[in-house]
Parts: sequence; C-alpha cells; structure tokens
Amino acid sequence: MTKPLLSIRDLKVEFSTRYGHVTALNGIDLDLLPGETLGIVGESGCGKSITALTTMGLIPDPPGRIAGGRIVFDGEDITQADARRLRSLRGAEISMIFQEPMTSLNPVFTAGDQIAEAIMLHQSANRAEADRMAVELLRTVGIPEPERRAQSFPHELSGGMRQRVMIAIAISCRPRILIADEPTTALDVTVQAQIFDLMRDIQQQFGVAIMLITHDMGAIAEMADRVAVMYAGRIVEKGSADAILDNPLHPYTRGLIGCIPVLGKEAGQEGRMPPLAEIPGIVPPLHLLGQGCAFADRCPLAFDRCRTESPMLKGDVHKVACFAAEMEAA
Amino acid sequence: MTTETLLDVRGLSVRFAMPRKSLFGQRPVLHAVRDVSFSLRPGRTLGLVGESGSGKTTAAMATIRLAAAHTGSVLFNGIDLLKLDAEAMRQQRRHLQVIFQDPYSSLNPRERVGAIVREPLDLMMPDSSKSDREKRVRELFGLVGLRPDQMALFPHQFSGGQRQRVSIARALATNPRLIVCDEPVSALDVAIQAQILNLLRRLQDDYGLSYLFISHDLGVVQFICDDIAVMYLGQIVEFADRPTLFSRPRHPYTAALLSAAPSLARRKSAGYVREGAVKGDPPSPLNVPVGCAFASRCPRVQSKCRDERPVLHHNAHSAVACHYPLD
Repeated sequence: MTKPLLSIRDLKVEFSTRYGHVTALNGIDLDLLPGETLGIVGESGCGKSITALTTMGLIPDPPGRIAGGRIVFDGEDITQADARRLRSLRGAEISMIFQEPMTSLNPVFTAGDQIAEAIMLHQSANRAEADRMAVELLRTVGIPEPERRAQSFPHELSGGMRQRVMIAIAISCRPRILIADEPTTALDVTVQAQIFDLMRDIQQQFGVAIMLITHDMGAIAEMADRVAVMYAGRIVEKGSADAILDNPLHPYTRGLIGCIPVLGKEAGQEGRMPPLAEIPGIVPPLHLLGQGCAFADRCPLAFDRCRTESPMLKGDVHKVACFAAEMEAA
Repeated sequence: MTTETLLDVRGLSVRFAMPRKSLFGQRPVLHAVRDVSFSLRPGRTLGLVGESGSGKTTAAMATIRLAAAHTGSVLFNGIDLLKLDAEAMRQQRRHLQVIFQDPYSSLNPRERVGAIVREPLDLMMPDSSKSDREKRVRELFGLVGLRPDQMALFPHQFSGGQRQRVSIARALATNPRLIVCDEPVSALDVAIQAQILNLLRRLQDDYGLSYLFISHDLGVVQFICDDIAVMYLGQIVEFADRPTLFSRPRHPYTAALLSAAPSLARRKSAGYVREGAVKGDPPSPLNVPVGCAFASRCPRVQSKCRDERPVLHHNAHSAVACHYPLD
C-alpha cells in the first residue's frame, strides 16, 4: 500500500453559534494518496467545505475550533503548526481553488500580477522571472494569447478563463495537493467539461493529488478514483468510485445517485422517464442532531436502533456506517 | 390549428440598447434573441436549452411580455400577445405564470407566504369572496406538499426547496394554461431537485399544464421535456423531440453539450476521454459573427461556416441550423 500524502484522523471541528457549540465535523478519517483524486460528495451543509478549509488551516478561530484529531501532511501534524508554517505550506505544498472565481480573484490586479505574487512569495524568483513564469502558466492552463491575457483584469475574463487563472495560481508552486471546492458549479456545462479535462491533464503532468469536493455524482464518475460520502459532519460511506457508484451500500448514497437525472440511454427512448427517486426532507441543522444516525429521519430503511445509536464506519476497503447495510451484508 | 397549438411564437427578436461608449457615439445594440420560432401544444413541455448568454431566458420572457420584443408574433390560444393593450394583456396573465430560478429573491420577504400565494387571486378574481380565496390557498398548499399551518410563516422560515414549492403554489393559483419555468431547480440541492422535478411533472399530469422549461442541465431536460430547442447566441440551432435529440443529435453544439454533461457511465477508472469537446467561450452578442455563431468553437468548422449563416432546415425528425450536420 502506498503511503498517504495526507492523512486525516478522527478530526473534530466545532463552531460556537447562538445555539451553543455545534459539531461541524464529527470524527472523520480520510487518506489522500499521491497522484490520486479523492472525491468528497454530499449535500450543502454536510461538512465538505469545512473539511477542505480545515486542511488548509483556514477555519476562522473563533468561532471555529479544531476540537480533536490530527491532519498529517508528509509526517507533520498541521493542526499543531503555527501561522507562519501554515503560510509556507499554503500555496506551496497544498493549494486550493474555489467555487466562485470572480470573488476569489482580486479585481484590482491583473491575472499576471496575481500569479506572479504567488510565485514570488514561495520561490526565489525576481519580478521579471515571476512574470515570465506567469505567462508560461497561463499557457499551461490553456489560455489563448497568454502574453496579452496576463495584462487582463479579472472582469475582462470569462468565468471559465477566471477559473483557469485560479488553477494557474494554484499550481504555480507545483503543490503536491490541490483542493478543488466545487470548482465548476458557477460555470456552464461546456466550460465545466474544459475545466475537468484541464484538471486531469494537470494531474497527469505534475502528479498532484486532488481532493475534489462536489455534490455531482457525474463529476465523481468522471474524475474520482476514490470517494467519501459525507452527511451531517460524518463520513457515511467510503470506497473506490466504481464500488460507490455501482454498489452503493448506504441509503443516503443510493438516494444521491437515484435522485439525479443523469444522461442515460433512456433519454433516446419514447415515452416518459420514470419518476426520480426522492430523499424526503432536508439535511438537519447541526444543532438539532440527536443521539442516533443523523440520516434516520430521511431514511427508508431506518429502524429503532438507528434512532438511539450512531453507526460506526465499518468494512475493509468499501466502508459504510449504517446498521441496515450491516444487516444486509450479514 | 388553434385547438392543436397553445403557443406559437414566430420570428421573435429581442434587442437591448447598451450605454454609449462616448458622448456622441452610437448606442451599441445587443442582439439577445434573433429570429426565434417555436410552438407548444397543450399538456406538453418545451425545453429551451443553452449556456448562459444564449438568450433562452430572454426568449421566454419576451414570449410572455416580461421583456419587450423587437419583432415577431406570439400567438397564445390564437391571440397575438404582442399586439394587446395593457388591460387586455393583464387579463391574459392569469393564463401565463412564471416560476423563477432563485427562490430567495422571488418571494417578498415581508409578506406571509399565504398572502404571497393569494395575491394572484386577489388581483385576478376580485369578485370572489375572501374566504373562497383562503380556501383555494389552503388547497394549493396541499397540492405542492406544504402544510396549511405554514401559511402564516415568512419566506425566510423555509428552506430553498420549500420556497420553490411556495413559488409553484403561487404560479398555480389562477389555474394557468402555460407556466414558464426559468431554471426552477438549478439553485437547489441535488436531493431537493428530484422532489421539485417530480412535483412539477405530477402537477402537469393532473392539470394538463404546459411548461416552457428553461435549463442548462441536459439531465433535467431529458427528465421533464417532450420537445427541446437548443439555443446558441440568440438563435435556435436545433429543434427535436426528446428521443431524437438525445439519440441522434445533429448540430455539433448539441453533440458538445451532450458530451460535456455529466454521466455516471463515463468513468475515470475506464480511462474515459471526452470526445467532441469545444474550446473557448461563445462570441459576444454585441458583435455577432457574419457566419455561423458557433464557427469559432466548432470541431467540424469549414470556410463556408464563417461566411454564410446557416438557417434551420427540417427533416422528418428534427430541424437543424448547420451547413455540415452530423448524421
């Protein structure tokens, strides 16, 4: 087995809110292997982005707090690192692209300036070298006329080009981990396809490990090697992308796959499509989580034990946290 | 003809004059919708599909006169909506309703949701008694899966999916014939999308509603639409029924949209590589190309495409505007 590049163990993150302390992440375990893509999937409010932000050391404290657990990157527990060490890791070793490329770029600096800034911060390059590298990076991420586009301000670029600039900044220092938090949600489908293709190219070229956060099972199929399904601050199922998509064990994962009208051969047939599977209700607010399984209220398979006891993640390679799935397997 | 077709849009164009670049300059004209025609039969759903800026929303809004058309005609039940005066148009509005994309900004935050759903009745049926209208609101809440005791709440007390249910109840209040659904599920979480899509389809079956359904998501379109018009830079580039469009796309842009849409069958583990992907972004509608608008991104482009604009050609199954369509 390859040694993981990043290992998250029993991570707990709390926020103090007006409802008291709520647990946003409740003991999650994740491994990211070198060069792989790990998909993290779930609805809004399940803790996907909090996982990413905690890994980057970007949880605002207060109100947030790492209440327990470790995040080990290359042998170093980064939950213990000081601000200075975190700054040198961010961008250089672990970098991140966000959902909304308009708000994550600075509107008053050109694309080239913003890439050069990241380079000068982490590498011993002077301004002229950094500018030259910025143009090269724009070429790498597939921006036409990179010399001219380096002089463009973010508002002069389309959404797809802005996301490419974000990716150029993120890979400027050859990080070993790239965290992509819903990188294509704000983009059109053809542009989304371009960004996914680019991310795959970059992974092959630089061997970067990608943590892809998404709510889209189609993106998981296309991009991920392994998948973790999150619900209400816990991982409820974990395994290879094929295992999760072809043989989902948790009722929540089954619901997520069944409720998406993805393209299939049925579309080419006459007559109406069958109704979509529904997951009734919504993700419960974190301050109202009780004793049992957080999904019990929406679950078609829930029984008494689910309401009093919280299931643990069990299994070898394909893991699931569900009493009903355990009984099914037994 | 009028019994067959509920809505018949012919040669619709919409233009917006943009701000002057200089004091004495010409105002640039943005061609949002260019010569668009489509029709919709009762009880069916027509999908308008395209990327942002393709003019799909503007075309639908011009159809129901929420945007001003430059030229064209919109026959609704045989009446040209674009020729009606304000009062006659207002009378038609009971038959034409809209569900908007964003359930957060399309409901008045200072009004109780019961009153929001009742408002179309207050405006359109002022002769009915208040208790009748309240009864109807109660009934509507039941139809869309809300509880009548929620009528006294404000929009912020609901989740996104529930707010979209309120929007649907409001749209249904006056028993409309046509509902324009402008990306009604794209702001919702995946699990909630399924609830709303199933609801929309059930309501269509029960009440014989016709939908003009705007979406960029081909998965959603495949689920709910009977006929589909694919738009690109203000024009319809392909028109077909659902089985034909998804099994035999003829315009390279439609094919590109299909290959870009997520699917569970395309696996990284199986070494999936996308075919027919398009490069770059659409051209600006301020400066529409002479030839085919898709030429700059098309994988099959030839010199004729840049010089001559293709028009919609019909064959037995579909219509396509392309010099070199796929077969």
